[in-house]
Amino acid sequence: MANIPLNIDSLVGAALAPILGVIAFWFLQLIFIEIQKRMLTRFRHSHEAFCRFTNFIGILFQTICHALGYTVTRSGIATFHVTVNYGTVEPRKEKTGVFEWIATSFLLLGPFFIPAGLALLFSAIVIGNAFVFPAPSYSFVESLTNFGISIITFVQRFFNFLIHMDLFNPLHIGFLFVLWFFGLGIRPSYVGEERKAKIDMIHDLKNIFYHLTKKPLYILVIILGLYAFYFLSLFLKQNWYMALFSVFGWISLTAIIALLLTYLLLFLIKLTDYIRGWWKAVSYLTVPVSYVIARIIFLYYPVRQGYSFSLLLMMVCTFIVTILLIKYKKTNRFKTATKMKHMRVADGKKRSSKKRAN
Amino acid sequence: MEKKDLLKNEQIERLLSPHPLSFMKLQALCIFVIVWGIVVWWLTEFSSYATIFSGNGVALWYPLMLWGLVLLLVGVVAWLVAIRLSIFLLYLAVFAGAFGLIYWQHWENNTSLFIMVYSVAVSIVGFLIIELYRRSHKYIITNLRIIFKGGVLTKRERTIRYDKIADIDAKQGILGQIFGFGTIIPVSQSGFGLGSDKSFAAGGVELGTKKAKLFGFAGGGKEIQTPIARSYYELHGVYPYKDVKQLVEGLVQTHVPTQYQKEQVEFQKQQVDIQTQMRDLLHKQVREKPRGKAVKQTIEEEEPGEEQNEDEEKIVMKKTIAEDAFPPEQVDIQKQMKELLKKQKTVRVAEPEEEDVEEEDEDKEEGKEVA
Repeated sequence: MANIPLNIDSLVGAALAPILGVIAFWFLQLIFIEIQKRMLTRFRHSHEAFCRFTNFIGILFQTICHALGYTVTRSGIATFHVTVNYGTVEPRKEKTGVFEWIATSFLLLGPFFIPAGLALLFSAIVIGNAFVFPAPSYSFVESLTNFGISIITFVQRFFNFLIHMDLFNPLHIGFLFVLWFFGLGIRPSYVGEERKAKIDMIHDLKNIFYHLTKKPLYILVIILGLYAFYFLSLFLKQNWYMALFSVFGWISLTAIIALLLTYLLLFLIKLTDYIRGWWKAVSYLTVPVSYVIARIIFLYYPVRQGYSFSLLLMMVCTFIVTILLIKYKKTNRFKTATKMKHMRVADGKKRSSKKRAN
Repeated sequence: MEKKDLLKNEQIERLLSPHPLSFMKLQALCIFVIVWGIVVWWLTEFSSYATIFSGNGVALWYPLMLWGLVLLLVGVVAWLVAIRLSIFLLYLAVFAGAFGLIYWQHWENNTSLFIMVYSVAVSIVGFLIIELYRRSHKYIITNLRIIFKGGVLTKRERTIRYDKIADIDAKQGILGQIFGFGTIIPVSQSGFGLGSDKSFAAGGVELGTKKAKLFGFAGGGKEIQTPIARSYYELHGVYPYKDVKQLVEGLVQTHVPTQYQKEQVEFQKQQVDIQTQMRDLLHKQVREKPRGKAVKQTIEEEEPGEEQNEDEEKIVMKKTIAEDAFPPEQVDIQKQMKELLKKQKTVRVAEPEEEDVEEEDEDKEEGKEVA
């Protein structure tokens, strides 16, 4: 107790630093989500099934979060229904006041943190030593620095794992698929056929802001609760408060990394759109084939960073092959916003390449 | 579908076959075999647990035992969940095949690698069989009926007329929602297309020791009626689901008995209208009695003894007399009545031909029975 300076900085500022840090990372996550949504919206017409799949994952997580909200508030779940286009959760008991507010908070904020949180749990199994909790700090700058160190250590170890990943290891490849899966679903709203105001980041933020400011008393209680927790950690000289916010920071970072990995996938899909017919399959096949070849080469000619070089070689080969295919096997198909076979002719009959039996 | 297979006035609306991903339940069995084979290979050769599986003697069989145990366990679970013994038997056959090959060819030293290669090979064969099975399905939607065809070795065919469809069950799983395919089961009036999910629970207990033994047995069953059919008796995994569903529902709607009944009611209404008009005209005719009635009678009385060969002259005379005898209003009424009778006749002629067709069919059937 004697070592703790009793001033504004230690009593207020130090508690504020990790909150600001988490908010900053969450905003960064929002921007990455928005980029992904725009990418998906752009090629929705040519990859309808893929977009429906991503929508399904997003809606599934959103619905699970909503259901979790009702479970936490002990409202119970009467109906749980998830489809590709929408999800429905109805409580068994209609509760109002704080319970309703908590359930809605889960619906609005849950999709940003819960899928990424699950990915973080999986990463704890696969990566293991990536989590370093910050030391307790007594000033705003010190608190922010410690929070930053914790985050940077996590990022370093996460990326270190990614670049040394062994794709012959089922656990590693499984983790990669989990990151892709969660990365495609870390977003709270639906990807429509065209960009609409209601599906963008501003809409999400507006909803959250309205929800939070609707009940200022609840926010005040939460802030007071957090400060109480901070003081408890401070006087017991524990890093619990910092650890709590570090976990939220890691969750946001996991989401960002997962989103970055999905960008690679979306980028490849986008590039293969320029390739003619079945030739685009060559691009996708290059990914495993080049990796297997690289691993075999490095098996007979061992190098220090064999796994990393194999990954690098895989990415370079895929990129070169795709570029060459775009150059020499570029699609000559006349592209339209809607598929030609869906266009109706004047007599009302559908155009179809399929043979009609007499 | 050849033209000779079609009925009279039958036209094909759509030729369909199941979507490649619609048999994912079967394909998942193969995917599991591949994945598990690769995992076992990695686990026994490259993982940190590889040392457990290294050694001579019985240890050589450890990878096969691990692989087979999990495979059969999954087979049992799938059998219980899907209520299909064939899944377990299939996995048992796969395991027996692997065991037999290793034992016969003495590949005990490379069990892990063999399991991986064998799993991939067996799964590829499985995928090919599933694809062959999928391609054997053909669904023909015509303007009169739906024809279902399927089967690789034994060819099966089902035909259902739209007027015999009592209910349509449609379902679309997650994969179906993503890729736009779905399954439509037309349930016939006889209940074809309906099945039941059964669950049964039983338990036994033995109490007591040597002298007194008590054996109890309790059981319970539950059965739920649900639309269920083999893939060759339903429109399994058809694409595009929404369009096909709309088409089938539309065709059923136009063939349901209520439509025919509506036509009948319409026809009867017309008949009643005509009859009402005729009755009104008759009343009118009765009220305005013809003035020439007496004259007509006297003329007929005066000429009873004339010869039969003068009939034509008589008719002409009667006509002229009648025209003269009836006032113009009566003539109008008669003309209107004639027109109404004509209308009634034309309506009867234009009546739905289905009755005639059915009569013809009945005649044919009678003929067959007689034969």
